[in-house]
Amino acid sequence: MTSHRTTRVALIDRSKPLRFSFDGKEYQGYEGDTLASALLANGVRVMGRSFKYHRPRGPWGAWVDDPNAIITVTLNGLSFPNCPATTTPLVEGMRARAVNAWPSATFDIKSGLDVFHRWLSAGFYYKTFMWPNWHLFEPMIRKMAGLGDISRDVPEGYSADQVFDHCEVLVIGGGAAGLAAARAAAEASRGVVLVEDHPVLGGGLHQMAEIEGLAPTDWIAEQVSAITSAGGRILTATTAFGVYDHGLVGLAENGPFGTAPRLHRMRADRIVLATGALDRPITFADNDRPGVIAVDGACEYLARYGVLVGSKIALVSNNSLADAAEVLLAEAGAKVLRLNPHDGPMQALGGKRIKGIAQGAKRHDVDTIIASGGMTPLVHLWRHAGGKLNWCETRQAFLPGAAPDGMVAVGAVNGAFDLDVSLSEARAAGNGKSPDLSPTSYALTPLWPDPGSKGRQWIDFQHDVTLKDVELAARENYVSVEHLKRYTTLGMASDQGKTSNMAGLAAMAAVQGRPLPEVGTTTFRPPFVPVPLEMYHGHHGKQLWHPLKRLALEPQHRAAGAALGEYGGWLRPGWYGKGEAKQLIHQEVLTARGSAGIFDASPLGTIEVMGPDAETFVNFIYYNTIRTLKPGHIRYGFMLTEGGIVLDDGVITRLDQNRFVISCSSSHVDSVRTHLEAWRQDGNNPDRIFVHDQTQHWATVTIAGPKAREILAALALDVDLSAKAFPHMTLQETHFEETPMRIARVSFTGDLSFELSVRCAKAPALWEAIVKAGQALGAAPIGIEALSILRAEKGYIMVGKDTDGETMPHDLGFGVPRLKKSAAFIGDRSLHCDKANATNRKTLVGLSVPMGAPPLATGAHLVDGTPPRSQGYVTSSYESPTLGRPVALGLVENGAARIGETVSVWHLGDIREATICAPCAFDPEGERLHA
Amino acid sequence: MRDDSGKWDAPLPSGYAHDANGMTLAAVTLARQVLISGPDVLTQTKQPIAGWPDIVTADSYALSVRRDRVLLVNGPTVSEGWHDDIGQAVSDASDAYAVFDVSGERSLEVLKRGAELNLDVPSRSVARLLFGLGVFLYRYETENSFRIHVASAHAEALVKSLEGAIAAC
Repeated sequence: MTSHRTTRVALIDRSKPLRFSFDGKEYQGYEGDTLASALLANGVRVMGRSFKYHRPRGPWGAWVDDPNAIITVTLNGLSFPNCPATTTPLVEGMRARAVNAWPSATFDIKSGLDVFHRWLSAGFYYKTFMWPNWHLFEPMIRKMAGLGDISRDVPEGYSADQVFDHCEVLVIGGGAAGLAAARAAAEASRGVVLVEDHPVLGGGLHQMAEIEGLAPTDWIAEQVSAITSAGGRILTATTAFGVYDHGLVGLAENGPFGTAPRLHRMRADRIVLATGALDRPITFADNDRPGVIAVDGACEYLARYGVLVGSKIALVSNNSLADAAEVLLAEAGAKVLRLNPHDGPMQALGGKRIKGIAQGAKRHDVDTIIASGGMTPLVHLWRHAGGKLNWCETRQAFLPGAAPDGMVAVGAVNGAFDLDVSLSEARAAGNGKSPDLSPTSYALTPLWPDPGSKGRQWIDFQHDVTLKDVELAARENYVSVEHLKRYTTLGMASDQGKTSNMAGLAAMAAVQGRPLPEVGTTTFRPPFVPVPLEMYHGHHGKQLWHPLKRLALEPQHRAAGAALGEYGGWLRPGWYGKGEAKQLIHQEVLTARGSAGIFDASPLGTIEVMGPDAETFVNFIYYNTIRTLKPGHIRYGFMLTEGGIVLDDGVITRLDQNRFVISCSSSHVDSVRTHLEAWRQDGNNPDRIFVHDQTQHWATVTIAGPKAREILAALALDVDLSAKAFPHMTLQETHFEETPMRIARVSFTGDLSFELSVRCAKAPALWEAIVKAGQALGAAPIGIEALSILRAEKGYIMVGKDTDGETMPHDLGFGVPRLKKSAAFIGDRSLHCDKANATNRKTLVGLSVPMGAPPLATGAHLVDGTPPRSQGYVTSSYESPTLGRPVALGLVENGAARIGETVSVWHLGDIREATICAPCAFDPEGERLHA
Repeated sequence: MRDDSGKWDAPLPSGYAHDANGMTLAAVTLARQVLISGPDVLTQTKQPIAGWPDIVTADSYALSVRRDRVLLVNGPTVSEGWHDDIGQAVSDASDAYAVFDVSGERSLEVLKRGAELNLDVPSRSVARLLFGLGVFLYRYETENSFRIHVASAHAEALVKSLEGAIAAC
């Protein structure tokens, strides 16, 4: 008989049987089982196939330490890949399938790969799959790589809740030490939260007969009662997966299977680490066979699930903790054979099941091998927090050393494998003391991999890394542990080396003839266990993934049939109407040129700069001279980076001596505000300059086109709209329905244009009034798409589209301030460096195509030479309904001096011709602008 | 260039309110919100000034945003611009911020889904991030009632986040 269920009292509920299937075969387990315990209870040993060699594998451990039993679980029609069988709770109706195996884990068609293991050692893929072309092999390798397949079905409602939380003391680990520490802290009136990753508290206590005179469940219940009575909180089925800056711990609270964990971002004043320790595998020949199980794992299966892992068990251990295990298993009815691993090299016998163990010349008839090469404390979270590790020669393990701020380690993780010591230091820690390393009764004889010894000996089960692979890595000079890890992939699977790191380091140390502590460890990184990406995703989905800013006039746009889309972080009308988009957009352009376009310009920045030093400040911020700007006047200008690169363009209005309004690009408002605030505090007196971002208070409706004045006049505002009284680039203030209104005569289309700004609450009334007034004159709302064409016809740039990360203002034709502005400004010095003075700088040009030719592709490269070299590219390109032909803007080397030159334009293998021309293709004299 | 109108919920109706799980989320209409900046604004402001986790009970009050800035709520009309005599920059921000109240016994739990909040850690500023959005957050009238000012353009995003958090509680 192999593994089976006993009658021992365990943590399962035998009154609640659960049916499930594995690889197509039906089984039964109980509530409280994991998939692994239920399968073992049914005598199933082979639960998976190894990653590379497709060797049969069974569970090594009983919890997060198991690297082998990886399962795809289907429940209620939804599939979840890569579920560890040892931590997946059994649920009625589960359909489980081993990953990386077909048709089943027991009979896998790729098991023959193991025959070729000599040619498939570590790093073989770096030396093969090269000729004739790596890409020939790529699809096959991608198909074979990885474990498990992702289902294309999207589970509805699979959404992670995320909460921020805090506590005074966070105790991580609900075993003996954790419970004792939590109780002590709670009774000392500290706000305590205890987290335990098992659904049931107690850790290894369930293996014991009694603790402090009580049965384990009674002792645990007493601690729980004391903790909760004192106001403490306990979270079970919750894994602390990472420690981050300033005492922030990530907790994944698991719910029913098939639901996303809840993420707790727990901020703790103090952290007590009671995460315990794991058995290390022993490295011997064929140590990866199904039926080779950790000593503690075997005890856990018995204590928690009532499952005896075998009938004739070989117990191989180098340490004193095996004594209690031997008694426990024997009392459950197993025949236990104790073997000393130092008596000779060992080999597991059998394939899909253990048939025996050989040691030297002896062969022992067993059906199960349980092994322990010592205990490895789970110091991951300690290392996340920056804590140091010390090598303990007595325990042959890395233990917590110099502590990170606010963290203390107690119990087995601190090397306290004696229960009384563990409880004592845990209670001290709960009361705020930091325990020292205590003497221990734990005894072991060092047992590490023996390089050069015979047989295939596994170091990393999940990634199929053997002792020979480590030796190979050393021969190829990958001697740093970080290189060893990446070259062999040791510790890189989903188990992240929990059971392989120590053996791998020890093997490397032995190969190099160095002490193990000198070799060191690889870096520990969160998450401690795999967690679903959804846990990090949380509510940031769909509309909340990247929430767009919404316009005050959105109801009006929707009512007008606008096609809304994202433009610069806002949801804005691209065009209006139902039908063929291109046609509608072209009609909007023609409407704007023939009558007027009515346009929601609310997202444009409205940032006020005020104070006695505001004038000096904005003169410094801008490339252009601003201090000479008179009240009521507007100036177009650039903001530069310190490197002289164009950051933003826009207009600045002076309202009075100490008050300016910066109207920056709508997509740049936040960055411009930040830019202003940073410089306000750098080299200036911040008590004399204030920046108020008023963008969200004001709504702006633009009327642009030859009939703009007439439409505005119909509103009967108290403003002289004549060209003489209201010239281009000036502002007037008035009222609309008793609300302050600003009217700026600025233009982004090149036609007569007025921007009317009121507080958002008044925007609907203003919009309705303008649309109504415009209707009679053939005006209509226009969207961003039409606006893009209108401004391109005029050669007006969009920063970030017609400029790139190297564009300086003189590249755009604005060279005067660079030469003439005497006051300091941001970017000044960079405008005079060699690069800024180079003659082949890319400059803004227009591009025209032969009559009848289609528009150029945006992003197409202007090329010359053989092979072709890019000398610039097309930045904007449209069919212009106004001109009846395509227009385009681009950046090209020395472009301003090449007007009239014909150039080749390359795009996706096609080459066309274009002629460099001036950027402005419409009304270059500006007559319509100054109407 | 595409029509994404159908991918975004319709804008919030005026007078928005939402009740679920024993909690209420409701839009608030204020008479006035005025942003005032100046080196001495905290001492110059006559209205009670609230930080975190203060409970505001007055009709007219100021929110402490930073050492040199307050948001005056329901205060008197103040002319905008730079006031050289008292060293203050004043801007009417009445429509710049949408305002919502979240109330109910578990309102703090709701908000803790969007920000790390601790009633035991005071702050002189009510400004913080909530669900990734810049807000002013403080308590209004009772211990379990929170008032939130958010940039108007982000009102829909805040409400959607809060509705989700209320549902999760």
